This record gives sequence, structure tokens and C-alpha cells, in this order.
Amino acid sequence: MKDYIITAENIQLLVNDVLKQGWDVVSESKTGVNFNAIKDASELAIKSDSKPSKLSMKDFFFPKTEPLFFYRQSHDGVELVDASPIEKKTLFLGAKPCDAAAIPVLSKVFNWDYKDEFYNKRVENSVVVSLKCNYSDDYCFCTSIGLSQKAEQGSDAMLTEQQDGSYFLHIVTEKGDEFFKMYSQYLKDTQAENNKPVESKYPEPAVKFDQGKVKGWLDANFEHDFWNNLGDVCLGCGQCTFVCPTCHCFDIVDENCNYHEGGRMKNWDSCQLCLFTKHASGHNPRDGQTKRYRQRIQHKFKYYEDKFNEVLCTGCGRCTRGCGVGIDIGGIMERIDKF
Amino acid sequence: MAELKEIAKELLTSGTVAYIIGYASEKNDKTVPFIARTVEDAEKLVFTHHSVNNLSVYLKRIKKPESGKVGLVVKGCDLKAVVALIQESQSKREDIYIISPKCNTVVSDNTKPWNKDNIASKCLSCEVRTPSLFDATFGEIETVELPSDEQIELIKKVEAMSTSEKWEFWKNEFEKCVKCYACRQACPLCYCDQCIVDKASPRWIDSSATVQGNFAWNMIRAFHLSGRCIGCEECNRVCPVDIPLSLLNRKMSMFAVSEYDYKAGTSIEEPTLVGTYKLTDNEDFIK
Ligand code: SF4
Ligand code: SF4
Ligand code: SF4
Ligand code: SF4
Ligand code: SF4
Repeated sequence: MKDYIITAENIQLLVNDVLKQGWDVVSESKTGVNFNAIKDASELAIKSDSKPSKLSMKDFFFPKTEPLFFYRQSHDGVELVDASPIEKKTLFLGAKPCDAAAIPVLSKVFNWDYKDEFYNKRVENSVVVSLKCNYSDDYCFCTSIGLSQKAEQGSDAMLTEQQDGSYFLHIVTEKGDEFFKMYSQYLKDTQAENNKPVESKYPEPAVKFDQGKVKGWLDANFEHDFWNNLGDVCLGCGQCTFVCPTCHCFDIVDENCNYHEGGRMKNWDSCQLCLFTKHASGHNPRDGQTKRYRQRIQHKFKYYEDKFNEVLCTGCGRCTRGCGVGIDIGGIMERIDKF
Repeated sequence: MAELKEIAKELLTSGTVAYIIGYASEKNDKTVPFIARTVEDAEKLVFTHHSVNNLSVYLKRIKKPESGKVGLVVKGCDLKAVVALIQESQSKREDIYIISPKCNTVVSDNTKPWNKDNIASKCLSCEVRTPSLFDATFGEIETVELPSDEQIELIKKVEAMSTSEKWEFWKNEFEKCVKCYACRQACPLCYCDQCIVDKASPRWIDSSATVQGNFAWNMIRAFHLSGRCIGCEECNRVCPVDIPLSLLNRKMSMFAVSEYDYKAGTSIEEPTLVGTYKLTDNEDFIK
């Protein structure tokens, strides 16, 4: 597939054109907190050297709360009403590789047994254009789990910032190719340019561990003193799992209900919360943060790999940056690596 | 810091405390909560401008030792939470060994160095840099140049808004809430054995993170902390979506002072605001 050059001005024009076609355009918000559906290209925040936003973009594929269907009591029984169909096409622009890479990882769990039509429809309706990352800090570790600042997993196309302010547009998938063919008026041939990519001011992520070795240790050490102190200071909030691009647990509840009607909701849930594994009897097999935090590590770096041959983590470092008590997942991996 | 380590070693060696909840260094200048159980652990204890956490939250979250007190490194501001916990019969003064530093303010952004423009907003109006309740203290007070208090300006701005403007303001903020409950978990005074949002049968509060459910959650929390919040701003600090929870809490605290002349966490002997009734209590708000 052919690659292109696109100028910053043309990105703006293209975005406004895409919006005019009735698509949503989602990019990181200027506050650095989350991803937003923008109304105009002027709201775009495409920055290759910024810290990953606090929340990942998974909310747009797997919303924090989503109705599955509604029910209503009618004179001859119960009437079920479907949730509104997902029709909107969405362009994701400027996502970091560690964000985009979460999509194929999530797709595995959402299609393993039951096929999650809501999730699948959103992925089907999206075009993901990521941006080569020129950032790293003490908490990034994409390079330790087989990704990198230019990993293409989950991207339909990838932009690379050039020294003259334009972008090299590398097309990754057929879907990306088809999309940009619709907007070819904004693209230039690569040969016409003799330009170089912007060099990152930041070094490669400093956190380094060997996932194979970590996995081996996890396989053998479900019980180990190491876990005991790890949970000591953990507060048991949902922050780490909710900001994470790959955490995907949900709860299903009936809400807004009265005797006659209600809705069935699918809401984010977290293995770190005290209700998560609580049985109806009142017994809770994971009865403390030590066991809950061990679950988070084991699920990400062992169980998911056992089942899907993939680590449930993209090394974005969000969980650590946001943790109120500084529990550092990359640091934990490094410690396990050294055992 | 040498002082702190010496105090800690002595306490652990003599068995006065079972463990000490304090701070240890992490990457860069950051410090993180750390539980020192041995003399070797005590060597790791530090107190710096980056010691932001209110460690009194652990009094209710970590199991009480079978013998010995709990040693707690706690700044003057956070100490108010210890006082409130004692007032509310959640902790006993004699069970806690309070190690309270003379504090020279902490950072607002823990990833950046401490300087005039990186000081936590609670420090800007602090009256307790020298603690008044402790078993041991350490450090020296230094003169600190403080920036202006933008938070109070923002409170005034919100106060001046019309009802519909206020609604818009908070709707935009609460919309972002993901119901991670980090605000609750980091709060030393959110210690209910079962939070109302965790009551699943029957469910009182929508668990969905919709505008409605988020309003319900955040308003309930603000109400439950009214006259109890001691202003450590931990909830605000840990919120992953930057909802300015301190505006609500500080406003409610200002209200407790103006209407009831009550400052939470001031004195162990004083009865709590919500636990007492005085004939002179203002009732104008009952309409
Ligand atoms: S690791 Fe941090 S963010 Fe995660 S539950 Fe524990 S305290 Fe909360
Ligand atoms: S576990 Fe942490 S580092 Fe890994 S993807 Fe999730 S938020 Fe990012
Ligand atoms: S509020 Fe006062 S005691 Fe608390 S950290 Fe700031 S200066 Fe120190
Ligand atoms: S509500 Fe917030 S500021 Fe008040 S005591 Fe709790 S954590 Fe501290
Ligand atoms: S910490 Fe913030 S996002 Fe999490 S529940 Fe509290 S207000 Fe909502």
C-alpha cells in the first residue's frame, strides 16, 4: 500500500471534511485527561511528545456504561426494546501506539466465546490513525512487551511527525487505505518530499524486563511472600483498571427500574474493588488487596498469555502514573525479572 | 531525616510500635507510602516535599497489630483526620504513636520538583505546619514563599454563578467521573464498612457512570463529608479525571465554619458537628 505526506493544515481540512460526512472524530483532549469527540478541527490536540492522557480511549469501544436493552411491562407480557444501534463511523486521530495496540488485544476476549456485538460494531466502524510516539518517562515500558514507540498493532494508518511540521502517513491496513483514498486531495506523494522525522527528546523507556522470564516466575509462584507486601499500601480503588486500555471487566445491572420498566446496563468493573468476587453467601475468595493485586498482575502477564498468547498490557504506564500510592507495575515486573 | 530514622528505629527496637506507616523514596523525587516493620525498614523512611499522601487513611485499612501501637508519620494537615477518627470513635489516641514533622509544604504535582509554583493548594492557607498534637516531632520550619490561592478564587467564581450555570459547571465535571471510587478509597474519613454505593440489594444509587449516577455518587459523598472533611485534598489528588472535588469539600467546610463555628479535626475532646445539637444552631436552611 502506498504511503503519503500530509501537512498539518491539511489534517485540519481533512478532519473538518470527515466531520461534515457525519463521522465522529476522536482525539486526545487538550487537558490531557481523556479522549473526546471533537466538533471542529481546531480542537485537535495531536502531539507526539505528550504524556499519554490519563484515561485511555477504550471508552469509545467499550464504554464505561452502556445500555444493552430496555424492558417494559405491557398488557401481554414483557416487551424488550433494543438499545439504539451503533451506526456512527469514527475516526480516531493521534492515538499513541500503546493505545491503538490495545484494540486487537481486547478483540480477543470480546470474541473468544460470546461475540460482543457492541464492541465489534464499534471496532468495525472505526478507522484508527495513530501517531508515532516521541515520549517516554519512568513508567512507560512498551518496549519490554514486544511493542515500541512505532508499533503498528491496532492502527489502520500511522502518522510520523516530520521536521518541517508535516506528517509521514504510513498506511497499515486495507481499511486505512480505503479511508485515505476518499480524501486523496489532502495527500501528497512521499517522493516529493525530502524530509526527516522529528527525533524524540526522550530516551527509550528505561523500564526493562524480560516478559518470558516474568511469565515463568508467575507460572511457579502463585503463592509467594512477594505478594504479601505488595498489597500492603494498595487502597483498592478502580483507578488502575479504569484508566488501563486493556482492562475489560464489566458488571451487568438493571437500572432506572421501577415495577414497569428498566434498562440492562453493562458497566466497567474492577478486580481491585471489594465487591468484585464477593459471593452471594458473603464469602469473598479474594478477601484483601494482596490477593486482588496479585490477580491484576497474574491476569495481565500470565492468564491472558496462557489463553490468548498475548500480554494484557501495552506498557503505557497509565496505571502507575495515576496510582495515588505509587504502585508501579513496571517496577514490579523488573523486580520479578530479577528473582 | 536522620531524626526520623532515629525515632523510628528506637520505636521499633523497643517494641513501642508494631510498625510505622511512613514514606519511602521512589523513582525521581517521589515518595510513596511504606510500612516499616524492622529496623532495616526504618532506614528507608523519608519525609520530603513530595510526601503528599495522607497516611492516616491506613489506620482504618490495615489490620490493627496484636500488640504495640501503630506508628504514624503524619503532617499537621493530615493529623486532623486522626483527630476526626478519634472524635468519631474509630481510633483510640493511645493506640497511635504520632510522629508529626514540622512541615515546609508539599508539591502539587508529584512528578515535578518542588518550587513556588508547584505547591499543593491546601498548603497555601495552612495553619498547622507546626503540629500541636504528637508523640514525637522532627524537622525545622523554613520560610516558604507561597503563590496566590487560586482555589478560593474559583470557589468565589462558582458561588457567583446562577443555578443553571452551576449545573452546567458541575455537569461538565461529573460527566467525566468513571466511578473508580479512588476518591473514597483515598479518604481517611470514608471508612464505612459498606459504602452506600456498594449496597447491591436493594441498590440505592445507580452504579452506572451516567450523568445521573455520577451526580448521585458525588453529591452523596459531598454530603457525607460535610462538617467532617478535614481538607487533606487526597480525593482531589487521586481523581483520575481531575474533577475539582476540593471545591465542593472546601465550600462545605467554609459553611461549617460560618454557620456553626466548627472546624473539623481540631480537638479530640470536642464533639463532632453532626453528632451534636445546640439550641443556638442555625436553622435558616430548613425551608
Ligand atoms: S494499585 Fe493504586 S490505583 Fe490500583 S487499586 Fe491499588 S491504589 Fe488503586
Ligand atoms: S496495565 Fe498499566 S501499563 Fe499495562 S496497559 Fe494497563 S494501564 Fe497501561
Ligand atoms: S497543608 Fe500544611 S501541614 Fe499539610 S502539607 Fe501543606 S504545609 Fe504541610
Ligand atoms: S473528602 Fe477529600 S479532602 Fe476531605 S478528608 Fe476526605 S480525602 Fe480529605
Ligand atoms: S475519583 Fe474521580 S472519577 Fe473516580 S469516582 Fe471519584 S470523582 Fe469519580
